[in-house]
Amino acid sequence: MTMLGYQNKVLRVDLTKKGAKTEPLRMDWAEKYIGSKGLAIKYMYEELKPGIDPLSPENKLFLTTGPMTGTPIPCSGKLSIAAKSPATGTMNDCSIGGHSALQIKYAGYDMIILEGALKEPGYLLIEDGNVQFKDAKVLWGRGSHETEMLLAEKHGHDHSILSIGPAGENLVPMACINSDYYRQAGRGGIGAVMGSKNLKAIVIKGTGGVKIPDIVESTKKITQILREDTLQEDNTFIYDFGTTAFLEACSDGGILPRKNFSDVTDENWTKYNGEVLLEKKVGKRGCGSCGLGCGNFLKFGDAIVEGPEYESIAVAGPNAGIDDPEAIVKFNQVADDMGLDTISAGDTINFAMEMTEKGVHDFGIRFGDKEKQIEYLKLMAKREGVGADLALGVRKLAEKYGGEDYALHVKGLEYPQYEPRGSWGMSLAYAVSDRGACHMRAYAPNEEVFAASIPPYTAEGKGEMVYNLAVFNAIKFSLCICDFWATISFERMAELMTLVTGKEWTEQDMKDVGERVIHIARAFNQREGFDRKDDTIPKRLINEALQSGPAAGQKIPQEAFDDMLDQYYAVLGWDKNGIIPEDILCRL
Amino acid sequence: MKRLKFAKSKCIGCQLCAQVCSAMHEGEYIPSKARINIESYYDKGQELKYKDSFCILCGICKKQCPVNAISLEEHITVDHDLCIGCGVCERACPKKVVRIRDEKSYICDTCNGDPACVKICPQNALTFE
Repeated sequence: MTMLGYQNKVLRVDLTKKGAKTEPLRMDWAEKYIGSKGLAIKYMYEELKPGIDPLSPENKLFLTTGPMTGTPIPCSGKLSIAAKSPATGTMNDCSIGGHSALQIKYAGYDMIILEGALKEPGYLLIEDGNVQFKDAKVLWGRGSHETEMLLAEKHGHDHSILSIGPAGENLVPMACINSDYYRQAGRGGIGAVMGSKNLKAIVIKGTGGVKIPDIVESTKKITQILREDTLQEDNTFIYDFGTTAFLEACSDGGILPRKNFSDVTDENWTKYNGEVLLEKKVGKRGCGSCGLGCGNFLKFGDAIVEGPEYESIAVAGPNAGIDDPEAIVKFNQVADDMGLDTISAGDTINFAMEMTEKGVHDFGIRFGDKEKQIEYLKLMAKREGVGADLALGVRKLAEKYGGEDYALHVKGLEYPQYEPRGSWGMSLAYAVSDRGACHMRAYAPNEEVFAASIPPYTAEGKGEMVYNLAVFNAIKFSLCICDFWATISFERMAELMTLVTGKEWTEQDMKDVGERVIHIARAFNQREGFDRKDDTIPKRLINEALQSGPAAGQKIPQEAFDDMLDQYYAVLGWDKNGIIPEDILCRL
Repeated sequence: MKRLKFAKSKCIGCQLCAQVCSAMHEGEYIPSKARINIESYYDKGQELKYKDSFCILCGICKKQCPVNAISLEEHITVDHDLCIGCGVCERACPKKVVRIRDEKSYICDTCNGDPACVKICPQNALTFE
């Protein structure tokens, strides 16, 4: 069976034996999980043996596109990179922008699976059907930016490059994969998995095409959808401001954390809002097949970055007690170059700052130390000096030195920068996210804070709210549609799927796939021993009330959190312990 | 005569233009065969640079064609019955936009005066005026 929109082909690369072969894509799985996130998790579930060490050659990297990749469907240019996470031990799928997804698809593949490990540092060069294993000894140890620069000079700017920095090489569990210099598959140590395979980079160029039914009429329809749906004001603010737009909204809404989540910002954080940073903007860039163009290329003195994104600004700014936009841009640039996830690395440094201030352990850094913050990133990536400790991440650092009461993570993945005491549903979203604390699995602030359509400081209705948000994101990311096409509906998703595959898809099909993706991710984690005991809320949110902002006085009672978990499990048909019953498992 | 114009300050490098061009002319999304190639990239991560390969209807290909296979009236037309695929037009094109495949020349025909690339360009970096 084949389906239009797909290449119906997987490239499987054996890094140990330096061999590559193609095989048909499992279309029976594609029908159930579509592509990108969902399909990657299904493959991971079927192919990874339970209990493997995420940094052993037994782990695999699944680079996964979808049926819309390579078409002009707006915002369809993202690539899913998945593997078992060395940070959490859960499954982990990351979504990265840039152009690599398109190059993979044009090279003729829906998916590239990387197995085993190279014996010596190397990189992969994939040009259509030609796969070459290249030596990377001269690249090893170099920053991700320099690596990309050297590879682009050698192979041409028309090749897409995915690379790791020193953090990935040194197996730091918060190492990311970079592409297009400033785009990241950021979380859960996906870069460390690549490092464990001695794989410094993947360079890819495709010259083939993608076919869909009735392409001339379909292209006209897609153009119309772009104009009428994607390019409406609810989405296009991202072109003007990027994610800096969220700073003021979160500050005003009382969910922009400060000083390691000890409180939220008590002033209008305008210094970091769009206007100040965007004065330094020198260019705009989007991903392949984008339409919105969220990337703000800016130069702030020596510091250059595309971004910085909300998460990076918040973690390196107010949450670190730092009040200097230029230092924040520099932090972002250095973290990218070192190949570190800004969220986890920033959170870990902020945690160390609070430990030092509280006299629990002296890490030699306090809130506001902006020079040391950047220096520590480099030490973490190389595991040198104090960086050897900080590279452990928040959970292990707390296990080693204390500070449990203000260690913010779920399953070992550090907290993103949306404070749940002002948006209770977010504590549930972080707790049940398939890879630990992630803000991309269900985004509660829209409902609870910005649109204020659901009361934020209550458990009531939150199970269903988070379920609905999670289903929406699970299908959206399985179609490989970017988060920033915010107005896309289930109906529209079905329409686009019908357009690219020629097979009829309904709104209900989209919801069913979304729910199935949540189940299969949970099933992977369940097999690894995860259950309710791991769906946690950090102690700080239960024990300490916020002092500032509209949510001042709020903390989340344990009973309220437990209630939300019960509700969420019930909506999905899981038992009280968060276990998926057999009748659901056998349908996956 | 209307021509394609490109404002790089508006371009986000999405390459939707090349995708729809190839859809209209080749029946698949295949940017390598598109008759327009506009993209941006970070040069050394430091500077945003643009490739802006598109037909400006300068007519040099028509003038240079040794077999008079190329005509220019509102847009370019290549008569494939006459074209010998010699590649003179490809080498002469100042915008590097002529494609030679299977001994035939392929040049932007502005979709007969209604270019699909302009219609899709999300930030209106491409115009036809």
